[in-house]
Amino acid sequence: MTTRDRDEVFLELTRSICPVCKQTINAEVNARDDQVFLRKRCPEHGEFEARVYGDADMYVAAQRFNKPGTRPLQTQTEVKDGCPSDCGLCPEHKQHACLGIIEVNTACNLDCPICFADSGSLREKGPDGYSITLEQCATMLDTFVAAEGEPEVVMFSGGEPTIHKDILAMIDLVQQRPINAVNLNTNGLRLASDKTFVAELGRRNRPGRPVNVYLQFDGLEKDTHLAIRGRDMREIKQRALDNCAEVGLTVTLVAAIEKDINEHEIGAVIRHGLAHPAARSVVFQPVTHSGRHVEFDPLTRLTNSDVLHAIGKQVPEWLTVDDFFPVPCCAPTCRSVTYLLTQGTPGDPDFGLVPIPRLLQVEDYLDYVANRVVPDYEIREALEKLWSASAFIGTDTNDARLTKIAEALDCADACGVNLPEALTTITENTFMIVVQDFLDPYTLNVRQLMKCCVEEITPDGRLIPFCAYNSVGYREQVRAQMSGVEVADVVPNAIQLQPLLVETRYGSKQVPR
Amino acid sequence: MTAHELAHGLDAAQVKACCASGYSSDLVSLLLGSSYHPGGTTLTRRLLDAMGLQPGERLVDVACGTGTTGLLAAQEYDAIVDGVDLSASNVALAVGAADAAGIGDRTRFHHGDAEALPLPDGVWDVVVCECALCTFPDKPTAIAEIARVLRPGGRVGISDVTAERDLLPAELTGLGAWIACVADARPPKEYEALLTAHGLRVKLVEQHREALDRMVLQIAARVELLRMTRQQQAEKLGLDFDRVRPILSATQDAIENGALGYALIVAEKPCA
Repeated sequence: MTTRDRDEVFLELTRSICPVCKQTINAEVNARDDQVFLRKRCPEHGEFEARVYGDADMYVAAQRFNKPGTRPLQTQTEVKDGCPSDCGLCPEHKQHACLGIIEVNTACNLDCPICFADSGSLREKGPDGYSITLEQCATMLDTFVAAEGEPEVVMFSGGEPTIHKDILAMIDLVQQRPINAVNLNTNGLRLASDKTFVAELGRRNRPGRPVNVYLQFDGLEKDTHLAIRGRDMREIKQRALDNCAEVGLTVTLVAAIEKDINEHEIGAVIRHGLAHPAARSVVFQPVTHSGRHVEFDPLTRLTNSDVLHAIGKQVPEWLTVDDFFPVPCCAPTCRSVTYLLTQGTPGDPDFGLVPIPRLLQVEDYLDYVANRVVPDYEIREALEKLWSASAFIGTDTNDARLTKIAEALDCADACGVNLPEALTTITENTFMIVVQDFLDPYTLNVRQLMKCCVEEITPDGRLIPFCAYNSVGYREQVRAQMSGVEVADVVPNAIQLQPLLVETRYGSKQVPR
Repeated sequence: MTAHELAHGLDAAQVKACCASGYSSDLVSLLLGSSYHPGGTTLTRRLLDAMGLQPGERLVDVACGTGTTGLLAAQEYDAIVDGVDLSASNVALAVGAADAAGIGDRTRFHHGDAEALPLPDGVWDVVVCECALCTFPDKPTAIAEIARVLRPGGRVGISDVTAERDLLPAELTGLGAWIACVADARPPKEYEALLTAHGLRVKLVEQHREALDRMVLQIAARVELLRMTRQQQAEKLGLDFDRVRPILSATQDAIENGALGYALIVAEKPCA
C-alpha cells in the first residue's frame, strides 16, 4: 500500500451554512486546478461544494489587501449564537458600514428570471409583499446615522424603488440628514418614460448632495435582455440614459453577469459606458444565486477573477487584469476596482484612456501585510477611500481623493509640466470599474461576511450584511415581519438540488416541508 | 532629443550630450516620474533583504529622490540613513517627509552629485542605488564613489535596467538612442565588470523582468496622459507621440525576448 497525496491545497477552515436548511456548518476552502473552492457538509443534507474564485494565485495575493476594520459608533444586536446568526451588526463584526441599502418595497414592474430579491409584480398583490412608509424610512436612516455619524452613501433599492409613491420624499429625508450621497437602484423603466420624475431627481442632484442612478444594464444584445430580464429593454435603457444625461444625472451601469448568457458582453458594456455622457462607472456582478435565478452549477459558476480576466481579453487595448486592485475595506476577494482617466469617447481619433494604477504603485499603499511604512500616508488615505465600497463617482469625497492622487503624480519641479493643473478636470474625466461577487447560500464564508461593509438597513432597526440578508434567511424573516405572513426559506436553483426543489409562486425555489 | 534623432539613432557622444542637457532630462523625469523606480517598495525590500541590512547599520541611498527608500530603511530596518540627490527640491521633500515621520534624527539628506558624493571615505555599511546608475553619464566614477564611501566588508545593492544591445531587434534602430537617453542601460555583465573593476565582489545577480514590463506600461500611461493633457508642452520638450508608441511596444517585445531586463545586483567590498 502506498499513500496518495490529496489533489488540493487546504487554505482555510471557516464557517458557512447549509444551502438547504441554512444551519451553520463548518466549511473548508481549498485550491485545486488553479481555482478556489469552498466545501462543506451538512449532517442532514450532505456535502456541497462551490467555486469561489477562478484564479487561485489572485485569491492568495489578494489577502494582502486587507485593511484593519473600523468600529461603528453603534451596534444593534448582541452576540448570542455566533456569525452568521446574530445580525446585525453585532459587536463581533469587523467593519463599519460603507454603504447602507434601504429596500423600499418588494413590488416591481418587471418579472426578471434573475432577481436576488425575488421581487416582481406578484409581490404587489401577494400576501407577503410590503412597502415601507416614510416614517419607517426616516427611522431606518436615523439608525444608519446613529451607527456611522456621517454616512457616505445610502442606496434605495427594492423591488423597484421608482414605483414607490414616496421615493422622492425619501430622497429628501436623506438630504435632510448628514448623509453625503444617494444612489437609486433601478431597472430604468420609469426613467425612460417619466421625464418629470427624472427632472425631480435632477433637481435633487446638486453640488455636495449628489444623486446617482444605479441602472441595471446587463448587455447590449437582445438575447441577454430576454434571458436575464425576460424582456427586450434595449430602447428603454437608452432612453433612460439619455434622459439622465439631459438633466445632468450621473449613472452607474450595473451588469449582472451569468455564465453562458452574457459573459461575452463585458467589454461591450465598458465601451458603452465610456461612450455615454451620463455613464461614469460600470459595476459587474457575477449573478448572486440567492432568490430567483436560472438553474446553475455551483462548481462552474462565475467569480470575480473570471470577470477580471474577461475584461483583459475583451478590451485588451485599454485594460489588463493587473489594472485592478482588491478593495481593502471589505474582504479583499469580494470586490476589485480600477479607475480610468479618459478623454473624449471611444472611436474619436483623440480618445485617450489611462488606468490610474499605471500612474502610481497602488500596492505600495494598500498592501497591509508587506507595508509597515508607506511612502505617503495622505495618498494611502486617498486610495483607501477610492478603493472602497462607499466610493461613487461624483461625490465630493471622491473628487477630493482623485485630486489628491493627481497631486501625487506631480512632476512640476522636475520637468516644468504641472500635471495637477493639467488634471484640474480629473474629476469630470474619471471612470470607475467595479467587479463585485456577492456571497450566496453556496459560497457564503463567515470570514468574508464578518468584514462586509455593505449593509441592508431593516425596518426594525438593524444593519444586516447584504450577503447574510440574502443567503441566511434574514430577507425571509423581514418579509414575514412586515407582512404578517409566514415566508418559506428560498433555496438555490442548483442542478445538484433539483430533485429536492419545488417552485414558489414567485419563481424562486424552496424545499417542501 | 528630436524625432529625427530618435528615428535615426545617435552615436555615444551625442547620446551623452543629449542626456546631460537639461531638456532631455526633463523629458526623462516627465516619463519616469520623480520618485518612481521599477518594482516599487516591494523590490526595495527585496534588495535590502538581499544585502542583509541590519538594525543600526549606516546606509547611503545614492540618487535618493524624495527619500522613499531611505524612510523605509530607517523605519522598517532601523537603519541610519544618508540620502544624496542631485535635485535640491527632492532633498527638501525628503527632509520634510523624514521630519513628518518623526525620524529626522536618523536620516540626513544631502544635495549632491553621485559622481562626487559629499560624504567621507570608508564609513558606510551599505549603499543602495535604485534605477539611477543607468542615467549617470560617468558610471565608473559613480561606482568608484560608492566603493570609496563603503567600509571594508560593506555591501552595495544596485537595481537597474539592463540591455543586451546585440539582441535588440533590428527594426528598433531608434531604440538604442531611446534607451541611451531614457536610461543608458548596459548588459548585467557590464555592471558586474564595473563593480569588479572597483574592487567590489559581486555576490548576487537577480533578474526582475516583470518590474520592467510594468515600468514600460507606466511610461506608456504617462505618455498617454501627457498627450491627453499637455500635448504641446510635451512636444516642445521633444516628445514625438507618433514615434513613442511604436517604440514602447517594441520595448515590450524586447523585454519579452530577453534583450531588456531589470537586474538586482549585490556586491561586497572585501575586508582587506
